Amino acid sequence: MPVASIKQRYVAVTIALCLAAAHHGRAQQAAEPDNHAGRVPVISGGFGYVHNVSGGATSLIPQINPVLLVPFGQHVLLESRTDFTGFFERQNQTSGPFKGKVFKTVEFAQLDWFANSHIMAAAGRYLLPFGIYNERFQPIWIKNLQDAPITATIGTRTSGSGDGLMLRGVATQRPQYSLQYTAYFSAHSKINQLQAARVAGADASIYLPQARLELGTSYQRFLEGHRINSVATYASWQPSSQPFDLKAEYDHSHNGHGYWLETAYSFRQLSAPHFFQRIQTVARIQQFFASNGGGNGLPSIDTQRFDFGLNYYIRDDLRFISSYGRSFSSHTDSNIWNIGFTYRFLFPLWPEKRQ
Amino acid sequence: MINKAICLSALALLLPLPIYAGKAGKAQDTNKAASTSAQNNVQPDAAERVFETNCARCHMPPSALSQRTTGTVVMHMRMRARLSQRDEQMLLKYLAP
Ligand code: HEC
Repeated sequence: MPVASIKQRYVAVTIALCLAAAHHGRAQQAAEPDNHAGRVPVISGGFGYVHNVSGGATSLIPQINPVLLVPFGQHVLLESRTDFTGFFERQNQTSGPFKGKVFKTVEFAQLDWFANSHIMAAAGRYLLPFGIYNERFQPIWIKNLQDAPITATIGTRTSGSGDGLMLRGVATQRPQYSLQYTAYFSAHSKINQLQAARVAGADASIYLPQARLELGTSYQRFLEGHRINSVATYASWQPSSQPFDLKAEYDHSHNGHGYWLETAYSFRQLSAPHFFQRIQTVARIQQFFASNGGGNGLPSIDTQRFDFGLNYYIRDDLRFISSYGRSFSSHTDSNIWNIGFTYRFLFPLWPEKRQ
Repeated sequence: MINKAICLSALALLLPLPIYAGKAGKAQDTNKAASTSAQNNVQPDAAERVFETNCARCHMPPSALSQRTTGTVVMHMRMRARLSQRDEQMLLKYLAP
């Protein structure tokens, strides 16, 4: 039997066993006393299309990122996300037929264990928790602007994911604040779809629920080749009185440092016709300063960029997106346009038995 | 050129602010989940607060979640957002009373 088909069978049997075990676990689980929340396996994720024009060259970018969630009782969760992104460009940049291919990436495939509030452990492939972008804003249906910040590659080398172990939790929680931590170690991996670098890192943040403000910092040590340290500090603020959102991050590594600051405002509280209340405006400013020649996913020269976006929420899970950006550097200045739509889906994998 | 970029960016960033300043009003959550909880007597204030202070931090919160998926989603979000066990219990009460 060819190796590929053995592999496929193995994957299919593993998934079937997981689903069966999850079903069994759920059936065995004692009824929860004060709620009716079910824990059925779920398939969720984002789906969308972005039409990008960057410096005059057009790219067509359809994407789907299914997320599989399989709980085993109340303390264990299997979660995985695979990204399928098509990238099609004109043959000669600005003329000719569109050509390209679909890239497939396993972004995470991890088993989570919820011991208590202080300790949650994840084993397997996980998103590198550096700063706030990679772990929180990467999904197409979440990000307000489709292009990642210039500094997004700091602390996420080499693939954005780590293979190993991650511990996280709430160190302490009071009505006025809570302190969260994450610590992780990833081994080097060259396995197809599971590439990762040997890194170790940690993140800590404080969340003030009354002000709805989170402040945090991340540290990472790259433990192969040229060993380097990366650090980030970030802030996230959503005042309770207004549908306003501010996110900002400063990143520093051997190859450069820079920041991005993004604000978003939703019109949903405006006393305007319903049509206008679905609009969200977004603005982002970024500055990057190269050091040691840049590289490792960072520009080799200082770069500035601003973006302005206009999103239209048809529903909370479906929206039209559009943005204009301009990038400035001593090498070239260019315009970047994005237009498209995003959709978040969420389906139970089977109906729950009525009690 | 770079100064021009900074000026334009500052303009773009400040754009939402006049609207923000001129429209100081109470937050109204039109969330279906929120109204469900109000109809049930499960510590609505505390549980609702946990939902409101946490579920719009990273993305637009879902306007509705089916009961049978709520436990799974909240587990997932507990891992993502590093929420405590207490917050998880509150969210379950609030979203699937
Ligand atoms: C720290 C950021 C963060 C917070 C806070 C957060 N989410 Fe999420 N949420 C995410 C991310 C990231 C995803 C996408 C998951 C993925 O693609 O891996 C997501 C996905 C979801 C989904 C889609 C299904 C799923 O589980 O993937 C739902 C529904 C959801 N969140 C609801 C909530 C609710 C309810 C809360 C309040 C407890 C919440 N979120 C708080 C980051 C967050």
